[in-house]
Amino acid sequence: MVWAWLIPVLSFAAVPLIILFGKRLPGKGSPLAILAILAGFAIFWVVFAGFLSASPDTEGCEIGVGTEALTCNFQITWFEAGIPGADTKDHDRIEVAWGMTIDPLTVAMLGLATFVALMVQIYSLGYMHGDPRIDWYYAFHALFIASMLTLVLADNFLLLYVAWELVGLCSYLLIGFWHERPEPREAAKKAFIVTRIGDVGLLVGILLLWSQVGSFSMTETFAAVEQGELSQGVITVSALLLFLGAMGKSAQFPFHVWLPDAMEGPTPVSALIHAATMVAAGVYLVARAFPLFSASDTAMLVVATVGLITALGAATIALVATDLKRILAYSTISHLGLMMLSLGAFGYTAAIFHLLAHGFSKALLFLGAGSVMHSTEELDVRKMGGLRKVMPITAILFSIGALSLGGIPILAGFWSKDEILVAVNKDLPVIFIVLTLLTALLSALYMARAMFVVFYGRFAEQFEHVHDAPPTMWITMGLLAVLAIVFGLLALDLPGPFKGIGYAIFYHEGHGLEIVIWLAAVSTVLAIAAFIYGYLAYARKSVNLEGARRTFGWPLKVAENKYYVDEVYQWTVDRVVLSFSRFIAWVDRALVNDVGINGPGDVTRVLGDRLKYHVTGYVYTYALAMALGLIGLAIFWWVVSG
Amino acid sequence: MNSFDQSALLLTILVPLAGAGLSMFLPRNRPNDAWYFAIFVSAITLVISIGLFVRYDFGVGGYQFQRIYEWLDAPLNIDLHLAMDGIAATLVLLNGIVLFGAVLISQTIKHRTRDFFVLLLSLGSGVFGVFVAQDLFFLFFFYELAVLPMYLLIGVWGSSTIFDPDRQRLWGIPIPFDLGSYNRPKEYGAMKLMLVLVAGSVLIWVGILALYVASAQVGQGTFSMVELGILAERGEFSPAFQNWVFPLFMIGFGVLAGLWPFHTWSPDGHVAAPTGVSMLHAGVLMKLGAFGIIRVGMVLLPDGAEAWMPVLIVLGTVNVVYGAISAMSQRDLKYIIGYSSVSHMGYVIMGIATLHPVGLTGAVLQMFSHGIMTALMFAMVGAIYERTHIRDITVLNGLMKRMGFASFFFAIAGLASLGLPGLSGFVAEFMVFVGVFKTYLPLAVLAVFGAALTAIYILRLLARTFYGEPDPRWEGLNDASPVEKSVGAAFVLILLFVGVWPAPLTRVINVGVDSVMRLF
Amino acid sequence: MVPLIAFQVLSAALFAIGLYGVMARRSAVLIIMSIELMLNAVNINLIAAASHLDGMGKWANFDGQIIAIFIITVAAAEVGLGMAIILRMYRNRSTVNVDEINLMKW
Repeated sequence: MVWAWLIPVLSFAAVPLIILFGKRLPGKGSPLAILAILAGFAIFWVVFAGFLSASPDTEGCEIGVGTEALTCNFQITWFEAGIPGADTKDHDRIEVAWGMTIDPLTVAMLGLATFVALMVQIYSLGYMHGDPRIDWYYAFHALFIASMLTLVLADNFLLLYVAWELVGLCSYLLIGFWHERPEPREAAKKAFIVTRIGDVGLLVGILLLWSQVGSFSMTETFAAVEQGELSQGVITVSALLLFLGAMGKSAQFPFHVWLPDAMEGPTPVSALIHAATMVAAGVYLVARAFPLFSASDTAMLVVATVGLITALGAATIALVATDLKRILAYSTISHLGLMMLSLGAFGYTAAIFHLLAHGFSKALLFLGAGSVMHSTEELDVRKMGGLRKVMPITAILFSIGALSLGGIPILAGFWSKDEILVAVNKDLPVIFIVLTLLTALLSALYMARAMFVVFYGRFAEQFEHVHDAPPTMWITMGLLAVLAIVFGLLALDLPGPFKGIGYAIFYHEGHGLEIVIWLAAVSTVLAIAAFIYGYLAYARKSVNLEGARRTFGWPLKVAENKYYVDEVYQWTVDRVVLSFSRFIAWVDRALVNDVGINGPGDVTRVLGDRLKYHVTGYVYTYALAMALGLIGLAIFWWVVSG
Repeated sequence: MNSFDQSALLLTILVPLAGAGLSMFLPRNRPNDAWYFAIFVSAITLVISIGLFVRYDFGVGGYQFQRIYEWLDAPLNIDLHLAMDGIAATLVLLNGIVLFGAVLISQTIKHRTRDFFVLLLSLGSGVFGVFVAQDLFFLFFFYELAVLPMYLLIGVWGSSTIFDPDRQRLWGIPIPFDLGSYNRPKEYGAMKLMLVLVAGSVLIWVGILALYVASAQVGQGTFSMVELGILAERGEFSPAFQNWVFPLFMIGFGVLAGLWPFHTWSPDGHVAAPTGVSMLHAGVLMKLGAFGIIRVGMVLLPDGAEAWMPVLIVLGTVNVVYGAISAMSQRDLKYIIGYSSVSHMGYVIMGIATLHPVGLTGAVLQMFSHGIMTALMFAMVGAIYERTHIRDITVLNGLMKRMGFASFFFAIAGLASLGLPGLSGFVAEFMVFVGVFKTYLPLAVLAVFGAALTAIYILRLLARTFYGEPDPRWEGLNDASPVEKSVGAAFVLILLFVGVWPAPLTRVINVGVDSVMRLF
Repeated sequence: MVPLIAFQVLSAALFAIGLYGVMARRSAVLIIMSIELMLNAVNINLIAAASHLDGMGKWANFDGQIIAIFIITVAAAEVGLGMAIILRMYRNRSTVNVDEINLMKW
C-alpha cells in the first residue's frame, strides 16, 4: 500500500521522457504513457488488495476522522518556511509534506481514474493515429492523469491544490491541443480562466483553514472541526470557499460555461475530462472535505441548491442542443449537479457511487461520440440518422451508455441515481425531490434523443461509405460498456464478503442499499417512458414535435441559447474587465506617468525655459546683478548684526 | 576558514569589475573576443556565487564569510565590511546565474560590443556589492555602481518604441490631446529610469546620513551596518526618528523595486533596454530595492518599519492588482512582461510588509523565482524580436510552429508567472499569501485574485502570439540559436527544480529571515 | 592726521565710479580699466584701515597692506589675462564692444 505513490509518479516520469525522446521512440512515445498508466492500474490492484487486508493496526493506518472509515497516511516533508524550529501552531512556520492518504474514497477514485485513463489512452492510439504531435498529446495525457492521481492521493490541502492546478493546466493544454483553429484556443483559455477564478476561492479557503488550524493536513483540520476548535462562521465560510473551487472544476452554475466549450479538444480528452479527471475533482473535493461541509448546514444547503440548479438547467439545455458532444457535455454538467445535490443531502455514498457509475458510462458515451466523429467527421445530430447500419458496434455500445445514464434498471446509472433520489427524499424539502425527479426524466429524455437521433431512424445517405471504429477503439469501449452494465450491481448485497458499496464507501457509518419502493417505481417508469417517447419521437418520427416547439416557444429559445450565460460572461469580459483594464492602462500612462513622473520633469524644463532669459549676455546686466547682490548682502548683514 | 571563504565575497565584486577593466584593452573591432572574455568572467563569478551559496552553513545561520578591509578611520568610520546571510546568499546566487545568462544572450550585440560588456560587468559587480556590503557607505556606492551603467546601456544599445496612432483611443474614442509618451524613444526610457532612480537614491543617501548623525549622537558615528544594527537592537534610535527616516528608505529603495506609483520607469526601461540588460534589470536590479528595504530599512529601523508597514502593504497590493490589470491591455510583448514585473514585485513588497516569517521567506523566494522567470521571458522575447522585428501581440501569431523552442521556454516562464504549482512562482507566491493571510486578511484575498488576473494576460499573450497557424511572413524563421536554447533550458530547469523541491533554497532563506524577524 | 572717514569717502567714490564704468561702458578695455579702479578703491580702504588701527601702535598690523599687495598682484594678472582675451576678441570679431559679444546667453 505504501507504494501507492508510484501510481502518479510513473505517469509523471513518462512526461519528460516523452517530451525529450518521444520523437525517436516507436509510436512517438505513446507506448511509454500507456505503459506508465498500465503499471499504475496494476499497482492500483496491489494497493486495493493491501487496503482490504489493512486494519487500524497497520502502520500509518487509523480510523479516519469524520468518515470513520479506515484511513492510511504516508508522508515525507516537502519544504518548510519561516522561523526554523518554531511551532507550526503559532503560524510562524509552515511545514508542507508530500503525503498521501488512502481510504475507501481514494481507492475508488484511483480505480476510476487509472481504468478510464488506460482505456482512453489505448483508444487514442486509434483516434489520434497520424497526428504529427502525438508525442505531445501523450505527454499531456500522462501529466493530466498523474496530476489527477496526485489529487486523489493528497493528504493535505496544499498538495491537493498543487495537483488541482496541474489538472487545470493539462485540461488547458489538451483542450487547446489543436491550437491552429481559433475555437480550441479560446475554449482552452476559457476553461483555464474560469476554473482559475474558482481556484481563488479554493486557495483562500485553504489559507483560511490554515490560519485557524496551523496546518494544511486534512486529518488535523478535520480533527479540529470535529473537536469544535473552529467557530461555526469559519467552518461555513471556508466550506463555501472550498466549494467555489469545486464549482469551477466540476462546472457548477455559474462556472459551467467552460465545459461545453471544452469539447473543442480531441474527443478522448473530453472522455477523460468528463469521466475521470478534472470534473470529478470538484465532487471529490467536497466528498473529501465532507467532515467540514457536514458541520455546516448552510454550506450543505448551498451545495444542494447549486447542484440542483445546475442539474436542472443543464438538463434542459442538453434536451435542445444539436451538437452531439455538446449534448453529452451538458449531460455531464447535469449529472455533476446531481452528485453535488446528493452530497448536499448527506448522500455521500450515493454521490461517489454515481460519480463512478457516471464516469464509466460517460467515458463510454464520449468514446462512442468520438467514434462517430472519427468516422463521419460530423457532430450535428440533425444531419445524422440510422448510423447503426454502418457502425453497428458503436451503436450498440453507445446505446448501453445512454440507457445506463438514462436510468434504465439494472444498468449502473439506475442504481446510483436511485441512491441519490433516496438521499434527497430523506434529507431535503419536497421541492427538491420533485425537481430531482424532473431532472431524472429530462436526463432519460435527452439520452434517448441523442441515441435515437444518431443511430436509429432513417439512414442519412451521405454516410454510406462510413466504416466502424478500429479495434483499439471498440475494444476499450466494450470494456467500459461491461462496467456500465454490471457496475451498479455493487450496490447489492452480493454473495461473499462484499455487502454492498454502502459498507465500503461511507461517511460515519456503513449502510446497506436503501430502496424506497415508490421512488424506484416512479423513476423507473419515468425513464422507460422517456425512452419510449424518444423512440417514437426521434426514431419512428411518429410524434410530431412541431406542436411542442410551438407550445414552448420562448422557453425553448432561451434554453437553446444556453440561458444566455455565455453572453453575459462575454459582455462582462469585453465591456467591464477589458474596458477597466484599458482605463487603468490609460491612467497609468496619462496620470501616473505623464503627470506624476513626467510632470516634475516638465515643470523643471518649463521653468528653465522661462528663466533662461535672465541670461542676457550683456556684461553690465551681470555687473548690475553683482552690485545689487552686494548691496543686498550688506543690508542683510547690517540688519542681522543690528 | 579556508582561502575560498576568506576571499570569495571580495572576489564576487572584484572579478566582474576587473573583467570590465580588462575588457577595455580588448581590440575594438572584434566583438566576439569581448563576448568570449565576458563569458569567461561571468562564468567565474557564477562558480564563485554557487560556491558561496553551497558553502553557506544554514545550520549555523547568521552572517558568514565576514571580512573587514579598513578604509577610513574615525570620525567617519567607513570600512569595506563584507558578509553574507541567508537572504543575501540566495540573491548572490541569483545574480550569478542571471549575469551569466545575460552575457550569453548578448551574443547578438554587434555594435560597440566591448563597451557593452564593460558596462554590463560593472553593473553585475555593483549588484554583488550591494548584496554583500555591510557598510552603508559602500552599500550606497555599489548601489550607484549598479544603477548608473543602466543609462548608457539603454541609451546606446536600446531600442525605441513607436506606437501607431490608433493606440490613442479610449473606448474607441480618439483622445483629443496627445498623450506624448506613447512614443517612447530609448533615450526617454533611459533618461526616465536614470532620473527616477537617482531621485530615489537621494532619499536613500539622506537616510544614510541621518543614521550616521543619529549614531554620532549616541556615541561614535558610524556607517557600519553591524554597529548600527546593534544600536537599533538596543533601542538607541527613538521611534520618532525611525518614523521619519524609514519612509526615506521605503520610497528610495521602493522606487527600484517598482513600488507604485513610482513604477513607470520600469516598463519603459525594460522595453527600451537590449535583451541582456532587460534580463539583468528585471531579474536582479529590481531585487536590489526590495533587498534594501529588508537589509537597511527593517533591520536598522525596526520601529519605523512596524509603523509604516500598513502603508507599504497597501502599496504592494496596488502593485499586484494594478500591474496585472495594466498588463492585460498592453499589446507590446515587452510591456506585458514589464507590467507583469511590476505586479510580481508587488508580491515581494507584500511579503516584506507582512513582517511575518513565512511571508518574508516567500518574498525572498519570490525575488529569486521572479528573477529567473522574468529573465527567461526577456531572453525569449529578445530571441523572437531579433528574428521578427515585431513585438506587437496582435500582429504576431502561430510562432509555436516556427520557433518551437523559444515558444516552449516562454510558455514555461509564463506558467511560472501565473503561479502554476510545480514551478517556482507558486511556492513563493503561496508563502507570501500565507504571510499576508495571517496579517492583513482582506488584502490577501486581493493578492490571490491578482494571481488569477495574471492567468488572464499570460494566457491571452500565449494564445495570440504562439498558437494558431503561422503567418506566411514567418516562413524560414529560425528557431532559437544554440546559445539561447541552452540558456532557456537551464532557466527552465531552475524554475522546475525550485518549484518541485524548494527546500535547498528555503532552508537557507529561513535562517536569514530568522535573524531579521528577531527584531520584531 | 587725516581722519579715516576721508579715506573711506574717497574709496567709496572711486568704487562707485568704477562700478558705473563697468555697468555703463561698452568697450571691454574701459570695463577692465573700471575694474582696476574698483580694485584700487578697495586697496585704499584696506591700507587706510590698517594704518588707523587703534591701540596697537603704528604699523602694528600689516594685514591690510598684505591683502592690498595680493590684490595688486591679482589685478596685474587679471589685466594681463583680460587684455589677452580682449586681443583675441578683437582678432576674431573686430570689435571690443561687449554688447556684440553675447554668445553665452541662452
